[in-house]
Amino acid sequence: MMNGLIQLLSSHGISHDFIIKASFYFIAALTLVFALLVVLSRHIFHAAVYLAVVLIGIAGVYLYLDAEFLAVVQVLIYVGAIVTLFIFTVMLTADTDAGTFGGTLRRISAGALVSLAIFFILVRVINMVTIWKTAVAGASVNLSQLGKSLMTQYALPFEVISLISLAAMIGAIVIGKAEKR
Amino acid sequence: MIPESHFLMLGAALFSIGVFGVFTRRNAIGILMSIELILNAANINLITFSKFSASPDGLGQIFALFVIAIAAASAVVGLCLVISIYRNSKTILVNKINLMKW
Repeated sequence: MMNGLIQLLSSHGISHDFIIKASFYFIAALTLVFALLVVLSRHIFHAAVYLAVVLIGIAGVYLYLDAEFLAVVQVLIYVGAIVTLFIFTVMLTADTDAGTFGGTLRRISAGALVSLAIFFILVRVINMVTIWKTAVAGASVNLSQLGKSLMTQYALPFEVISLISLAAMIGAIVIGKAEKR
Repeated sequence: MIPESHFLMLGAALFSIGVFGVFTRRNAIGILMSIELILNAANINLITFSKFSASPDGLGQIFALFVIAIAAASAVVGLCLVISIYRNSKTILVNKINLMKW
């Protein structure tokens, strides 16, 4: 369907490259706007829904980097599991005062100062390194290659990750268990 | 095609937004959400470097997978702590939680 759409548009004089670029910048802008909404929205439940949009947008960005498997994992784990968990926690706890963002001016200005400083330093560094402007995309990694290296070269980290997941599961059960009164 | 630096700038912007959220949010769940934003920014950078680097083994994608797994574990434990704190002190606003302050 996507290819058909691209063909239709290119028959009207819009180049393939332009479509890819325009859609990427649209997705990136959408992701950033919703990320700001996650941080700024007053209701924490709305923030959770906006977070889902941000994560789907990031999955879209992964597609532009030829990481299809990670895009699927992103949607499955983040949107399917973690955002659901966030929403459940929001429902289980009461937002005791409405203005979650209503911090003091000092805190907001300190946060803005630090985050803007970090942003400008990062942009400066990115602009300084010329190779990042001209680097050519390499060959894409296919899924079987990824699975093979996970099972051979990176087998030990993979097993450690499974142990960490087990520890998190046990920890969640122990911490979340209702205390006997 | 889209240059590598634009992906990196997207990551930098997401990271800064996440840092801003960690600073300004008072709700503990909001802070955890901002941390998820930061981890996702790191993932974008990892996959970008993996895509644009010369080595074709996809190490960055494997790293990103591990980051996703650890982010899931941290979200689970963090949210569990939030529920536990709420059960004990009836609030999750971090400026009202002062159990260990003296």
